Amino acid sequence: MTQLSPHFFGSLLVPVGQTIGMACAGMLLALVIGIPLAIAVATRAPGARAIAAGLSALRAIPDLTLAILAVVLLGLGPAAGIAALAVFYTAMVGKVSAELLLAAPVPPVDALRATGSGRVGLATFGLIPAMLPDLLSFGMYAFECAMRASIIVGAVGAGGIGTELVGAINALDYARAAAIIVVLVALIAAVDTFGIAVRRYPRTGFVLLAIGVLTLWIDRPQLFALSHAFVTFAKMLPPQLSLPELGALPRLLWETAAIAVVGTALGALLGFAFGLVCARNIVPFAVVALVRRVLDTARAIPEVVWGLILVVSVGIGPLAGILALGLHSGGVLGKLYAEAFENVDRPPVLSIAATGASKLSTVGFAIVPLAWRTLGVHTLFRLEWNVRAAAVVGMIGAGGIGQALFLSQQLFFYKAMAAYVLITWAIVLAFDAFGERARAARLSAEGGRPRRRSGRTRARSRTRSSDRSLCDGSAGTGRFRERPPFEGRAAPSASARRSGARKSRRSASRSMPPNASARYPSRRRTSPVPRAP
Amino acid sequence: MERTLTRGTALVLFGAGAVAAALPARAAASLRVGMIPDAGATQVSIDEKAPLRDYLSAKIGRPVELVIPTNYNATVEALGNGSLDFAYLGGLTYLKARQAYGVMPLVQRISDRQFHSLFITQTGSGIEKLTDLRGKRFAFGDVASTSGHLMPDYALRGAGIDPDKDMTVRYTGNHPATAKAVESGTVDAGALDESVFKALLDGGQIDKTKVRVFFTTPPFVDYVWAARKDVPAADQTALANAFLALKSPADDKILTILRGTSFVRADDAEYATLRKIALQLKLL
Repeated sequence: MTQLSPHFFGSLLVPVGQTIGMACAGMLLALVIGIPLAIAVATRAPGARAIAAGLSALRAIPDLTLAILAVVLLGLGPAAGIAALAVFYTAMVGKVSAELLLAAPVPPVDALRATGSGRVGLATFGLIPAMLPDLLSFGMYAFECAMRASIIVGAVGAGGIGTELVGAINALDYARAAAIIVVLVALIAAVDTFGIAVRRYPRTGFVLLAIGVLTLWIDRPQLFALSHAFVTFAKMLPPQLSLPELGALPRLLWETAAIAVVGTALGALLGFAFGLVCARNIVPFAVVALVRRVLDTARAIPEVVWGLILVVSVGIGPLAGILALGLHSGGVLGKLYAEAFENVDRPPVLSIAATGASKLSTVGFAIVPLAWRTLGVHTLFRLEWNVRAAAVVGMIGAGGIGQALFLSQQLFFYKAMAAYVLITWAIVLAFDAFGERARAARLSAEGGRPRRRSGRTRARSRTRSSDRSLCDGSAGTGRFRERPPFEGRAAPSASARRSGARKSRRSASRSMPPNASARYPSRRRTSPVPRAP
Repeated sequence: MERTLTRGTALVLFGAGAVAAALPARAAASLRVGMIPDAGATQVSIDEKAPLRDYLSAKIGRPVELVIPTNYNATVEALGNGSLDFAYLGGLTYLKARQAYGVMPLVQRISDRQFHSLFITQTGSGIEKLTDLRGKRFAFGDVASTSGHLMPDYALRGAGIDPDKDMTVRYTGNHPATAKAVESGTVDAGALDESVFKALLDGGQIDKTKVRVFFTTPPFVDYVWAARKDVPAADQTALANAFLALKSPADDKILTILRGTSFVRADDAEYATLRKIALQLKLL
């Protein structure tokens, strides 16, 4: 076992720099491409519907799958990581920004339109200034997600600290692997802290853009090695599987589904146990603080990194995938469940307590039943996310369709690889659609409450889905939120403002999921961003 | 005022980005040499190979950049898209790179002409021959590895065992991971590169008392240093000569990194048998 010398940590500087650079450059490209697309959608330019649909569909390809494709097309190193992140986050930035812009207050925009302002003018002077705080907050959230993604895309050869980690694990150098994991968790924490600073002083964010520009500059030869990319892409067409591969497909899909479902169940179990001992209305604060640190750590380590560790310790196969998903989901769900317990209506809890019930009975007969529905929604979201995650951890040795994808890539059977990519994509899309329906069913089952009665009702129903988080609910792990987002906001929510808007506009925006603009946590509670006048 | 300033900064930055993207790429002055990650890929393992890098750049008279991609595929694709000039490839990866991008074989260790795969198991497992592996959990290395997958697979089929049907197979990704999986008992047996196994025992990373060899494959031709086909002939010759000049014991430090004793010229004709086997097993 080699020593952990200062030189070792010195040698990590380049990979860490690459990881940060990939996240910045990927986000920069995503903003440059995504924002104009979002404006096109929001101003209903010709083809807006097609663009919106395209962005939604693109978002369903898991980031690690994109990274494998990018490594094949662009070669090793950060260029591939940048490309994969750029595609994934263009879809995310485009889709969410469009939804945010559509939620802008209507009268000023109409006034602008009346002056004969074009689409660019509408966006520059009407939509964007109105939604700037939301856009900034979302942008920073997206960046935190990109940072995590930037670490994990390294696992398939896209450069950065993820690549280092895989290398150290493959070389059986566990001391170094452990050190890299510590560096990685510190990096995630640092980015989250920086994110809070950016929300407070938005101009500091330009540091990130500068890093992005620099990284793009350094990696430009690979990024523009397009002739090779086209040649390789041609080798993927048409996607096809041989008969034995088709025969193995049901087993692969079953394995991936099992990893997702059992992993989520394990996560829910862990989350429930830890959530109970992490809710301030249940246990003393000292315990809460301690358990939160545990959950923060479990959540800060992405599934793929858990997977890499577990593949070594419990062996290659679905068990490693299940445990990886379970541990990470446990961290995420533990936090969400704890918040759900803390946010239950107080009167029923007090009345149970007033009967002289023990703490245990109060929890069992009031808090848990009251929070039950919320727990269900969180778990469903988690399951949906874990379908992606199950496909992704497969690529690092946990079995299922992800592993088949990885092996076909390794053997240069690109037609089969392309087929597996398409199948993964179809599965994720199908599950997303299924989740959307399941949630809609749950919401409409909520006692037939009129959906559009007040901004607050809507805000609250959206709160439940806010942790659907486009990366996976693990970003912004630095601190717990005091309250779910949007409930503590002084300003009326975007949707409340919109609810007084013209009918035509409402019906137009309904083609987007109504809760979309709230799917990321807002930190404005602590850090007001200067508003546009 | 504040917003104008911000917007101005943004414009400058985006402008800089656009200019950066538009400028033509400079020709790389250094030679980029890659190695398949048969024993792990990290910045650290590159640092450990620093003497090799320094030796090569001194001999060639050009700066040399050493790259270890995370997997076998990436190494070959890097030769294809020009991000590597030379690479150390396994037998099967060489065949794939030759087929896809016409790479030129340069040199190989003398041992690579008569290479062997080892089948290993736990000391007390009771597995003595290949047919004992029926129904067992078995570890191959990287799916694109010659000594970690192709040749062991061929040997198993020769003994009447179909790895797809008669065993539970895992791909560990590299040779040390296979050794570790056998040592820890995660699998009942595994197959790996003889030179890596020896290095692991010598380095103490694998416990000699826990693992034993129970089968050695017949010899086959394996690893080779190859050049991208567009690399100037002078550079190809310079790199080949640098390896051919390595002599024990003077260059032992570098030869240990390469796990070899001396180098000889390599030739595509040697790979005819391996190519036939790879095609037969549908791995090529």
